[in-house]
Amino acid sequence: MLYRWLRDLHLYFGLFISPFILLFAASVFYLNHGKLIAGTDAPAETYRDLDVPDGFDRLKGREAVDRAAAILPQVRLSGEIGYLRYVAKDRHLIFPVSKAGFEATVDVDLDARTATVKRRSMNLWESLSYLHKMPGPHNAAIRGNWVGTGIWRLFADATIYLVLFISLTGLYLWWAIKSERRAGFVLLAAGAFTFVGLVYAVIR
Amino acid sequence: MPSFVKTFEFWNRKFHYYLGLYFLFFLWLFSLTGLMLNHQSWFTDLYERHETIYDPDIEAPAGETQLSQTLDVMRQLKLKGEIDWPAAQPVGHIDFNVSRPNGAAQVRVDLNARHAYVKEFTNGTLHAFQIFHTFSGSRFNQPASRRDWAVTSVWVLAMDALAAGLIVMVVGSYYMWWRLKKRKTLGVVVLAGGVLSCWVFVAGVL
Repeated sequence: MLYRWLRDLHLYFGLFISPFILLFAASVFYLNHGKLIAGTDAPAETYRDLDVPDGFDRLKGREAVDRAAAILPQVRLSGEIGYLRYVAKDRHLIFPVSKAGFEATVDVDLDARTATVKRRSMNLWESLSYLHKMPGPHNAAIRGNWVGTGIWRLFADATIYLVLFISLTGLYLWWAIKSERRAGFVLLAAGAFTFVGLVYAVIR
Repeated sequence: MPSFVKTFEFWNRKFHYYLGLYFLFFLWLFSLTGLMLNHQSWFTDLYERHETIYDPDIEAPAGETQLSQTLDVMRQLKLKGEIDWPAAQPVGHIDFNVSRPNGAAQVRVDLNARHAYVKEFTNGTLHAFQIFHTFSGSRFNQPASRRDWAVTSVWVLAMDALAAGLIVMVVGSYYMWWRLKKRKTLGVVVLAGGVLSCWVFVAGVL
């Protein structure tokens, strides 16, 4: 009974997360070996008469990012704000916005209420790598400021938890096949030996 | 059923769990460190590290190129890891950083004085563990970056092998599932749900 349940859960959870596993696995090759070839950026666009929130000279962190996010629909953008840079000298607010498929840099003149937007599209490999790295460790306090990133975080976490579940149920399902125990042990031991040996070589 | 199909099914099934067993510890490492990277708020003092500063005399570094001279300085200072040079070197200096998961060092070498200034860092265990996830010595968005430590190349090979192994396992599992007539319908629904969820992000809808 337990065997049947675990076998079915192994199968169906595995099927559901398989596209995510393929995404994470395929993007490894680009992250490890790919080189970004800078393409031609689209011409910068200028937007005028914006409704610009105030307080960027004193606000920091998530509060400032939430206010900057209010500018995005006015410049026809949606996505994750990477960070904010407030230039006090000429009262400009500069920030990158990204999601799979494109990234943009928004330069807002707070006094003139104008914004210049430079867009750059990502190819498929870049998009997969972008998702692989999101949300990531950088600027953790403001990460997830766009709903898409927040939902992606849930799926990325679910993929990890289900991979752990599938690997444990996989161990159980292998152990249940008595004729495969010996060969499986050899491979498990070989994997453990390779793993420990490599980790040791890197840190010694 | 033709014999080559039988042979394929026999080995496809075996490969599925043999690959899974061989890569089990790698898979757990990348899963757990992936979780760490996405949840930095779970940890306090993750990036605290022990710092040591010293300034030894050194011999004039041997070699003609920046790389060979840097490697010779590292040999003299007993440092190992991936090298990272600044965009421009001060005249009469070789400056570089060297890093690996459990630590890093900032090295400034005055070639005329034959003197090195070294700031060495030792990372905490959890931080070192996390770095294994990203330790590739190369950044795709920095075309000039490249691997210069053989050990990193071997680690990258392990990452690639795990990724390739996972792809083989997933593709092989599709075939095994498709042969299970009773589980085809629900499987199609579940797989379609996964594909659609994933596509929404890849296509930039979300």
